[in-house]
Amino acid sequence: MTRRLAAGVVGAALAVGSIGSGRPEGRPLHAEISVQVGGEQVVDVTAERFSFTPSEIRVKAGTRLQIRLSSEDTDHGFRIPGTDIDVRIPKRNRGTKIVAFEAAKPGRYTFQCSHVCGAGHSFMRGEIVVTE
Amino acid sequence: MKHQNYRVFTGVRRASGLATGLIIAFALIQPAWARQTQAGDAPAAPATALSGYMEFHLNKLERRDGTLDFHRFVLLVTHEFNPRLRFVSEIEIEHAVVAGLEEGGELEIEQAYLDFLINRAFNVRAGMLLVPMGIINERHEPPVFYGVERPLVDTVIIPTTWFDIGAGVHGEVGRGWRYRVYVMAPLNAAEFDAEEGVREGQQHGSEANVGRVALTGRLEYVGLRGLTVGAGFWSGRSGFEFRPRFDVPVTVLEADVRYTRDRLELRGQFAQVSIDNAALVNDTMTLRTGVNPNIARTLRGAYGEVGYRVISGARMGDVGLFTRYENVDTQRRMPDGYLPLKAFDRDQWVIGATYWPDPDVAVKLDYIVARNKSEVVPAPNSFNVGLGWWF
Repeated sequence: MTRRLAAGVVGAALAVGSIGSGRPEGRPLHAEISVQVGGEQVVDVTAERFSFTPSEIRVKAGTRLQIRLSSEDTDHGFRIPGTDIDVRIPKRNRGTKIVAFEAAKPGRYTFQCSHVCGAGHSFMRGEIVVTE
Repeated sequence: MKHQNYRVFTGVRRASGLATGLIIAFALIQPAWARQTQAGDAPAAPATALSGYMEFHLNKLERRDGTLDFHRFVLLVTHEFNPRLRFVSEIEIEHAVVAGLEEGGELEIEQAYLDFLINRAFNVRAGMLLVPMGIINERHEPPVFYGVERPLVDTVIIPTTWFDIGAGVHGEVGRGWRYRVYVMAPLNAAEFDAEEGVREGQQHGSEANVGRVALTGRLEYVGLRGLTVGAGFWSGRSGFEFRPRFDVPVTVLEADVRYTRDRLELRGQFAQVSIDNAALVNDTMTLRTGVNPNIARTLRGAYGEVGYRVISGARMGDVGLFTRYENVDTQRRMPDGYLPLKAFDRDQWVIGATYWPDPDVAVKLDYIVARNKSEVVPAPNSFNVGLGWWF
């Protein structure tokens, strides 16, 4: 009985899967993560419990950085302490949040998740390294 | 899609000069460090947040009545004193009712720590901590793993949720190299057993004996999109309860990999526990209780899993199918004079599906084909349904 019931449910799931839709958005999962567009550096950052990828972004001082943020699971936050940047990254498949950042002088700018996302929330940190 | 744009022109202070390797030193400098916090550091979100996860299950073992169990009700209370100083706690009720006996459920403080976020490469953490081992122990919210129940390897080899009191450091360097190193309360070998290995040996920060602290750590690489590769260790001396006292050195080693590409998710994990002087533990416990715990000197487990989202991004949500193979043996190598209990040399195939109506809600079902090496004790198959969510 148990086996028949399990087989039925799994079969139904497979049938539903076979008519599943395609991915609606062209979210860049493995595309290049940093491109230069007319003097502006564009970086795709993926948030997932409990990391940002890439977690280190290197730019030259004065570069305008456009960070495109998307999530692979729940909603996360993106904050750069010491600035007014603190945004909510929407859940998987619900769009991209774009943040513009321009560092006037060299330094290391930590970013972190600002929305509690689970047991390892505090591990979600990264760094923008601004060089001469 | 709504885009928000921000521009920032002012430089930000650098905290790296304040890094220190000692909690005491950190505490001494903390007031001055806190005064440097700029107005812009104030969190936009409420400083105190409530979140959590829950899961309840229907488990139907072959030839037995099904059971409904509200397995986990977990609340996370967090407070951010400022962006560089956080309190994180996780309070869990297992099996719905806490009746004073273990059979009635458990109320546990799984996490309760302060995190001093000094800089990306070096941070200090102290309190009730999760042991940094394996895929599940630190990442166990129900929507993030396939299967109604956690993998068997993450139950009887790595005893998730494995937590205890301690302190340590963590950080990340370069493009995705992460580490954590903690000193923690050791396991108590007087609570080890044949079926679940070291699981019951956790002291859970309850007047924990720390005569000789354990050392644990993890190194992982998360620098490539979708890939997490990690390895962890735990080493401690667990014989503190025996009189006359003798050493029971315990070592736990594990390695794991997780890869996600678009709809595909792959996972693999290997873990091994080594217990020195297991024969002496068995002899002592037999004299003390009259029952031989038959503890092995080596316990080993591994699993591989493939999951695929057959529906992704649809209005109705996502649907994923998965299969997992596990092999677990808590009697892998026995001390001289003891024979392995073959019922605890187990393997199982798990096949199932998960439906996510929302990325934070998972409806799960699976069927487990279980086997063991015993010719006497059967390993029943089971059908399981679960509902889990995170908020």
